[in-house]
Amino acid sequence: MTTLLIPAVALLAALWCAIPRSGRAAPAVTLIAALLAFLGSVRVLWMLHLGATLTIARGWIETDPLGAFLLVLIAFVYVTAALYSWGYLNVQEAPPHRVRLYHANFNLFAFSMLCIPLLSELGLVWIFVELTTLLSVLLVSYALTPQAVEAAWKYMVLTLLGATTAVLGILILFWSLHTTGSTDFTWSGLRAAAPHMPHALLGAAFVLLLVGYGAKIGLVPLHTWLPDAHSQAPSPVCAMLSGIETSVVLYVLLRLRGVFAGDPALHAGTWFAVAGLISAGVAALLIVQAHDYKRLFAFSTVEHMGIMLTAASILTPYGDTAALWQMLAHSVTKSFCFYAAGIALIVTGSRDIADVRGLLGISRIASAGLLVGGLAISGAPPMAVFPSELAILRAALQAHGYVVAALLALFIVVAFFGVTRHITSMLTGEPSVTTGRRVPTTCVLALAVTAVPVLVLGVWMPAGLAQAIESAAKVLGA
Amino acid sequence: MTQSIALNAVQLAFVLLLSPLFAGILARCKELVQSKRGPSIFQPYRDLRKLFGKDERISENSSWIFRAAPYFVFVVPLIVTLLIPVLTDFPLFFAFAGDMLGAGFIFAISGMFFTLAAIDGGNPYGAMGASRTRMVGFLAEPVIIIVLFTVSFVANSTIPYIVQQHWVHPPANFFAPSHVLLLLAFFMVLLAETGRLPVDNPSGHFELAMIDESKALEFSGRSAALIKWGGYMKFVVLAIVFLNVLMTPWGLSSDGTPAHVAQAVLLVAFKILLLIGFIAAVESSYSKLRLFRISEYLAAAFVVSVTAMITEMLHL
Amino acid sequence: MTPLLAELNALVLGLFIISTIAMTVTRQIGACMQIFVVQSLLLAASAFLLGASPFSWHLFALGCVTVLSKAIIIPWLLRVLVPNEIHQRRELSQALDVPTTLLVALGLTLAGYAFAQHLVHAAPNLSPGNISMGFAALLVGLLLLAVRVEAVPQLLGLLAMENAAFLTGIAIAPDFPLIAELAIAFDVPLLAFIVALLARIAYRSMGTTEVGALTSLQERQ
Repeated sequence: MTTLLIPAVALLAALWCAIPRSGRAAPAVTLIAALLAFLGSVRVLWMLHLGATLTIARGWIETDPLGAFLLVLIAFVYVTAALYSWGYLNVQEAPPHRVRLYHANFNLFAFSMLCIPLLSELGLVWIFVELTTLLSVLLVSYALTPQAVEAAWKYMVLTLLGATTAVLGILILFWSLHTTGSTDFTWSGLRAAAPHMPHALLGAAFVLLLVGYGAKIGLVPLHTWLPDAHSQAPSPVCAMLSGIETSVVLYVLLRLRGVFAGDPALHAGTWFAVAGLISAGVAALLIVQAHDYKRLFAFSTVEHMGIMLTAASILTPYGDTAALWQMLAHSVTKSFCFYAAGIALIVTGSRDIADVRGLLGISRIASAGLLVGGLAISGAPPMAVFPSELAILRAALQAHGYVVAALLALFIVVAFFGVTRHITSMLTGEPSVTTGRRVPTTCVLALAVTAVPVLVLGVWMPAGLAQAIESAAKVLGA
Repeated sequence: MTQSIALNAVQLAFVLLLSPLFAGILARCKELVQSKRGPSIFQPYRDLRKLFGKDERISENSSWIFRAAPYFVFVVPLIVTLLIPVLTDFPLFFAFAGDMLGAGFIFAISGMFFTLAAIDGGNPYGAMGASRTRMVGFLAEPVIIIVLFTVSFVANSTIPYIVQQHWVHPPANFFAPSHVLLLLAFFMVLLAETGRLPVDNPSGHFELAMIDESKALEFSGRSAALIKWGGYMKFVVLAIVFLNVLMTPWGLSSDGTPAHVAQAVLLVAFKILLLIGFIAAVESSYSKLRLFRISEYLAAAFVVSVTAMITEMLHL
Repeated sequence: MTPLLAELNALVLGLFIISTIAMTVTRQIGACMQIFVVQSLLLAASAFLLGASPFSWHLFALGCVTVLSKAIIIPWLLRVLVPNEIHQRRELSQALDVPTTLLVALGLTLAGYAFAQHLVHAAPNLSPGNISMGFAALLVGLLLLAVRVEAVPQLLGLLAMENAAFLTGIAIAPDFPLIAELAIAFDVPLLAFIVALLARIAYRSMGTTEVGALTSLQERQ
């Protein structure tokens, strides 16, 4: 039952926020719901560790260690984003009904994402992935400026296009499942039936699903919506979008990898590697020429998605572990970066890298956040992303993927160079623009809470978390 | 053999004598749709009789083309009638004298003479109408050719009689997607070639907006009558190609007995009346397209016909 | 499937591809919406015909849900939320002119047929027309989405793509569990609702719904 309560809590919070009288209480209700969801997800992880099987409806709603791991990730970012939104919206001085609507939408968005790891039937997963898009579009356009509308529109059109392509792929997959005689349209059922499926159908489904869901995680060349949406949205929403929404769709792709790897003639691993490397490479170059620091972090998301996809293409258990580790590190670090960027935006009022100078003199919190965040996201030690990227490179080398490892290392270095150059140019020099606004306490609190895993996971991995990643990787590769 | 020549003569008479009636019925239908009473359906006969009795005025500066064109416009639809299945579904005497492409080229003769005569007459609106007609004509060409190719591909022949037989054996062909697409494409071209809305307004009076009508402005007396009658016959011939060859080759007599032929006359006339009703509905629903939009209209017809061709090739 | 049903299905497919071409040609937003309704009804008709024998209540349910959500709810939603004064003129604008769009659509139809041939060979028993027309209409819908400038015609292109995907789906996966019906019943109207809201926001912030002309967010040279 706990598994169902987790998204239910978010849904109830959304319904509460939709009531006209609750303008004042909406942020608090959201935070409480997020905390409950996080506690529930930790409990689910614990229960699975103890060996319980969490099946609500066989063939439809089943939770396994991989799903539980993702659930914890989603819930954590949900908590910090809820905390951050509280203060962030106060700075915007938005009227109460807009605050209320924001929180209702925010909770619905979290609800749709919390459901996905719990589902095991592919059609249901597709519906909820499409729901994550629909429920975040209005959040992206929250600022109501023409740029925000443009970003929201591009986001919606490209991702829904991807969803329509993906539904065709899913239908073809169902058809090929039918030809093997089984009707078990779940992750495990598909993996079992994959070796018997006709090659032509599986190939067509593979292409359609890679293109469709690739558009949603920002694979080049369908990534053009990502920098716009992830920069125009309010910062807590950016954290949710970059930190967990892309990770959730990547999770779906990784599960599907297991299905397509069942047909060796498809070379699913090779195609994943190609797609991942192209995205990582193009994103690294885009980072170098970024002109807006939120777009900078958005390009970094594209790069990390590419890195994770490449890690998953290695098709070894160690590679899978590394990929999941990277997913964890990326989620917490990326949300940290966006919280820092949000604070910098509050303090300077400008998104342009060229406009912002001397941030050290304007706000110590913003500069500390951006410095730590920039270094962390580009993979510098001793922060969370460093050991996971190292693990990915080791996994590639162990599997004799020397070219892959070399290219990945190159792209990571290029991105590091780009990010640190931009961040340091913003921090040093004479203070240029300032709005004089005070940074809200909840924003700083959210930043601090997120900083804990960013800094801690770089040096020490708690045994429980390591165990969770191991069992999740086992589900992925088994 | 005498029977088939006699049947050919009956077909000619059908087209020659009944085409003004169909034109009158179409005009009356459109007026009724607009809640007016409209002229009598026999009015075109009265108009023709009046025009035959009037004097002709011919410009001194015009050449023999101007004098000869009305005869071409009158005779060409009759020649084409010999080639297509009007009342019978077995080939008649002249059936193999020309195929559908040949019929298209024969129509081109009358079109060419009429266009040249319009310029020859010296009327500025005539020249304008002539160039516009040519524009519509060349844009409609590819559509006609692709439609003809597709049906010939199905029937393995370009003779209308044989095409008409193969389109409904087996019956599944009738419902095939390519059939519907071909019908739509040819119908769009039918409206364009006969100068109906939405391409051209046949009852308009504003010369600057005319496409087909302005070519006939200079003709008077007997020439005008021949041109009008030729226009009515062209419409009926194209309608018969549409109905009997492409759409519903039913109601035609399988043997040449007088009783069956009389029945065929009634059934074919009924089919043409249904088509006229449909055309009246289409004409009343759409406004005239602006001149540059005609290319979009015919491009759409082209796309529909090519889609029909591909769909047929892939046996979908 | 009995021959008569197969023939009627072929007729419905022919009309479906005609409606796709009509959506490409039309120049008025209202006409575009009406053609979309016709297309959805044709999809429902194909679902009914394919599900008639052997009888499949999934397909019947899918047909009914399609009629309800795409032919009734979505046009109503769009009429209520994006009323005519939001459309600056009744005509829609495109990035390419209509004849070029038509020719590109023709090329995409060919490409769709070609891609579908691979699948058709793998399944000779299923209705090949549905699969080929579905792929072709998917690509043409994609073209419409890319080429149209105003918000509502872009949405209609997206919905046409979904129609095409389901046209293929009803042939290849006739007993696809509840999901398809759920998706059409809830997802698609929600999509239309949110897009309509976004179109209103666009109108209020920019004075027009020409979202395809927004190009301010890009990398600086």
